[in-house]
Amino acid sequence: MRKKPKLTPLDAVIALLISALLGYIGYRINIGLQYKWNWGAIPQYLFRLDTATGNWTANLLMQGLLTTIRLSIWATLIATIIGTIAGFFRVSSSLFKRLLGRTFVELIRNTPPLVLIFIFYFFVSDQIMPVLGVDDFARNASETTQSLLTFFFAPPRFFSAFISATMTVAIFEAAYITEIIRAGIQSIEKGQFEAAYALGLSWRQKMQHVILPQAIQRILPPLAGQFISTIKDSAIVSVISIPELCFQGMELMAATYLTFECWITITVLYLVLTLSLSLAVERLEIFMRRSSV
Amino acid sequence: MQEKQFGAHSSSAIIAVDRISKTFPNGVTALNDFSTTIRRSEVVVVIGPSGSGKSTFLRCLNGLEEIDSGSIIVDGIALDDNKKNRLEIRKEVGMVFQQFNLFPHMTVRDNINLAQQLVRKKTKAEATEMTMDLLRKVNITEKADAFPAQLSGGQQQRVAIARALAMMPKVMLFDEATSALDPEMIGEVLEVMKTLAREGMTMVVVTHEMGFAREVSDQVIFMENGKIVEVGTAEHFFYQPREERTRIFLSQILS
Ligand SMILES: Nc1ncnc2c1ncn2[C@@H]1O[C@H](COP(=O)(O)OP(=O)(O)O)[C@@H](O)[C@H]1O
Ligand SMILES: [Mg+2]
Repeated sequence: MRKKPKLTPLDAVIALLISALLGYIGYRINIGLQYKWNWGAIPQYLFRLDTATGNWTANLLMQGLLTTIRLSIWATLIATIIGTIAGFFRVSSSLFKRLLGRTFVELIRNTPPLVLIFIFYFFVSDQIMPVLGVDDFARNASETTQSLLTFFFAPPRFFSAFISATMTVAIFEAAYITEIIRAGIQSIEKGQFEAAYALGLSWRQKMQHVILPQAIQRILPPLAGQFISTIKDSAIVSVISIPELCFQGMELMAATYLTFECWITITVLYLVLTLSLSLAVERLEIFMRRSSV
Repeated sequence: MQEKQFGAHSSSAIIAVDRISKTFPNGVTALNDFSTTIRRSEVVVVIGPSGSGKSTFLRCLNGLEEIDSGSIIVDGIALDDNKKNRLEIRKEVGMVFQQFNLFPHMTVRDNINLAQQLVRKKTKAEATEMTMDLLRKVNITEKADAFPAQLSGGQQQRVAIARALAMMPKVMLFDEATSALDPEMIGEVLEVMKTLAREGMTMVVVTHEMGFAREVSDQVIFMENGKIVEVGTAEHFFYQPREERTRIFLSQILS
């Protein structure tokens, strides 16, 4: 029997306190700051009518959102690859590999993200991108390649910066994914490793056929959760002028002075993205739990 | 011993364990200067109180545990740091665990096929043929497409035995294979083990089932604190154990 939801007196008091607080904040903004709300100015920064073609296209904020999504997807993909390798290092029988894996994780998790961003970004964009010729490649690519690059990554003019920022976020997230992979592998019973060993399977065969198929059910939900974290964490690359959602917000604010409208809109955009993904992850978890019995 | 099929060289040693010792990182010495010889087609039953090192001894025989000193030679191959040697020994030594350790994400058939295909490099058809033969042998053909979770404990353990046999091992190790089973399922698993013993499989069996020891064993080893206390036939243990400690232990498990 499901209990009927009932409002206790304490719930009512808490609700009252929260509304009072929100009301007070609203009052301070309106009266104290003498803030002139101008919500009407916001929609044009989401979408605008392209007068040349007559189509609606994404404007500043929507472009920022799309950049955030692209950056997060690529960063998570790369981070998953790095994290998988480092995760295997973490459970390796070789002490050296375990040390390497551990050092990577601890180094990254115990440093302020902002510091890492500056170090990685300037190293990657100054030293690695020119060597790879990424900038020249993007600028000199054919028109179709350029439009593909724009669609999947970023327009040629900041393609190189986008790649650097993606790599930076990826290395950062990889430390967390490393731990997800390690925990997934170590969550498999010892007996499974031993049975595979006793049957004569090689390390690779054991992992591929016995351990990973079982571990993946326990890895996927937290991995999807890490993707959501990446979306939030990616806001940090605004400090290196990648035009993702947060950076676009700052630009917009500087141009219009619509501080609250702008940041509330951006909060809502992030929330729509992360909450819907959270719900999807919840579904995934339930599905995985069901299919594992 | 009754009609043994491959018992021709029953006098030659297949496993030679010479003065092995094993101390775990936590300081527990599980094996202390332990030596024994196991001949082809012999069934050796290992008994002893909990924590006496029976599992550790068995696990050293296929390299699941590393020994600190001494030597183990299986079918002429030294179990040392050489990876090729170890792999060779892992292929020749089958192991059955107390907790079955079937792969839960695979059907019974795939559990038994897996190592045949990956290690023995058989085609799927060849592997399946042998798998079905083995399932007949352990009396469980109807469950080929079932997943381990759909099987009773006794059925799972019989599948686990079939899975180990699929590698055509020269030696089979059993670590308390019936200890996790409900009483009514112990018999069906012991039957399979007895059949194997009668066919001449070399077996090292850790068990408390003295009936099994009496029926099929050639040698019983009683160990305590990582050392052999007494070795003899099952009859010897039942009627004239030499050591006081053996007598006390037997009176405990037989009561
Ligand atoms: N992986 C391990 N780490 C530390 N101590 C262990 C480990 N495995 C076994 N031991 C200890 O070694 C001794 C022998 O264990 P074991 O061989 O499992 O005994 P048995 O199988 O006869 O009950 C026990 O004291 C046990 O606690
Ligand atoms: Mg044991």
